[in-house]
Amino acid sequence: MSLRRTHLYEYHREHGKIIEFAGFEMPVWYEGVIPEHQAVRNSVGLFDVTHMGRSLVEGRGAEEFLDHMLTGDVSSLEPMKGLYSVMCNERGGIVDDLITYRLAEDRFLLVYNASNREKDLRWLERHSRGFDVSIRDVSDEVAMFSLQGPRAEETFKKLCGEEVSALERFQISNFRIQGLEAMAARTGYTGEDGFEIFILDTPLGDPWKAVRAWEALLGAGEEFGIKPCGLGARDSLRLEAGLCLYGNDIDEDTNPFEARLRWVVKLKKGRDFIGKEALMRIAEEGVRRTRVGIALEEKGIPRRGYEIWNQEVIGTVTSGGYSPTLDRGIAMGYVPPEYSKLETPVRIKIRDRLLRGKIVKFHPFYDESRYGWRRDKG
Amino acid sequence: MKKAYRFPSELRYSKEHEWVKVLEDGTALIGISDYAQDQLHELVYVELPQVGREVSQMEAIGTVESVKAVSDVYSPISGTILEVNNELQNSPELINQDPYGKGWIAKIKPKNLEAELRGLMDSESYKKYIEKL
Repeated sequence: MSLRRTHLYEYHREHGKIIEFAGFEMPVWYEGVIPEHQAVRNSVGLFDVTHMGRSLVEGRGAEEFLDHMLTGDVSSLEPMKGLYSVMCNERGGIVDDLITYRLAEDRFLLVYNASNREKDLRWLERHSRGFDVSIRDVSDEVAMFSLQGPRAEETFKKLCGEEVSALERFQISNFRIQGLEAMAARTGYTGEDGFEIFILDTPLGDPWKAVRAWEALLGAGEEFGIKPCGLGARDSLRLEAGLCLYGNDIDEDTNPFEARLRWVVKLKKGRDFIGKEALMRIAEEGVRRTRVGIALEEKGIPRRGYEIWNQEVIGTVTSGGYSPTLDRGIAMGYVPPEYSKLETPVRIKIRDRLLRGKIVKFHPFYDESRYGWRRDKG
Repeated sequence: MKKAYRFPSELRYSKEHEWVKVLEDGTALIGISDYAQDQLHELVYVELPQVGREVSQMEAIGTVESVKAVSDVYSPISGTILEVNNELQNSPELINQDPYGKGWIAKIKPKNLEAELRGLMDSESYKKYIEKL
């Protein structure tokens, strides 16, 4: 199968280093992971995330259908608001994590992982029988960018005016970017304030609208030192923010309770959903392992698959790397709950050495008064 | 993005992208090539060998790690590690900035230098080798 490209491929190829990710040729970096990471933490950065999956779910039964599919409470989701939740299988394992936006009473936009585009569509379609609902994959007709960082609001305001500031976290609204029809939601995958921007009606074969919007956003951010950012910074930023990457930190054999995503599971919502029975049982019995954050106290870089030790092996790193903000190695992984208390000393086995670390607050890893969308202003 | 790499002609290069530079006193410095540092990009951690260690040619003596990748460093020659570049522990980026100068990794007292140098590439052959990768 040949690799897919986004509308911005020519830009990425000219300015960045291309790698394969989830079947796409995407930029891993332009200038470098660390300067791009820092641009987002300290000012503003722009990501092409068109490789992600986007589907419209419409019809009189749309709300009921999505309540059946998702662990979150869709019936109480207000129009033009988004909801982060997961879809589970019958065993309570996570099929995918995604954001659902209610565009109208009977119309929802689902945004999910690039690596799960085909799987999620099949999963949704397979379970849609009996519901008055239609599912339409719009991934190839809508470009998607993510504008992230403490100066994202100022940048976006220059293109779309004062109403940008009125947009609340997880709210979505219609905008025009240089006359182009767009939607923007105040969310992201970096821990920072920012916007996920959808450029409508921009087929892959006719990319000019996407290219124009990309250039307009970069132009607007120029005075703030905006940088185009690749997948490398996307990964290091989400790791510092303690956010899960599907396929690494969560998968079909991981349930939302052990993943510390209990808050997205609404067992008491009005409707039954796939996996509810299993999740109720898990809620009662408790989990055998739990996701934790680890910060190394010695120099070294933990990576996916490395062993986590106490007296013996107690778990495995599911995501790890160098944190530019903390200037140390950080990791997420799963350990038995008795080792999950903050400050518990652990070691990570890196090649033939056991490096000292400890369990730390990881959602996010950084100091929230200084970084991230909740940071102290001024 | 095509880059013009620098491969000084007074050095010899290994297939694993290390370089060796013979000094006037008969000792040799080793490091990783401009190509290698560019492929790894943004080094954030370097694991150095123990001083005094005896190493054989193409034995793994350390590790360089970038944000995205881990790579072993092989000694391009046999001998004894006389010295290591401790600056790299706090500033691994020196390898990116100056791979043949401030980014040197270790100084070695060679054991079988002449024969081993013949097995390494000169800058022209190394350049051709890179082009085929």
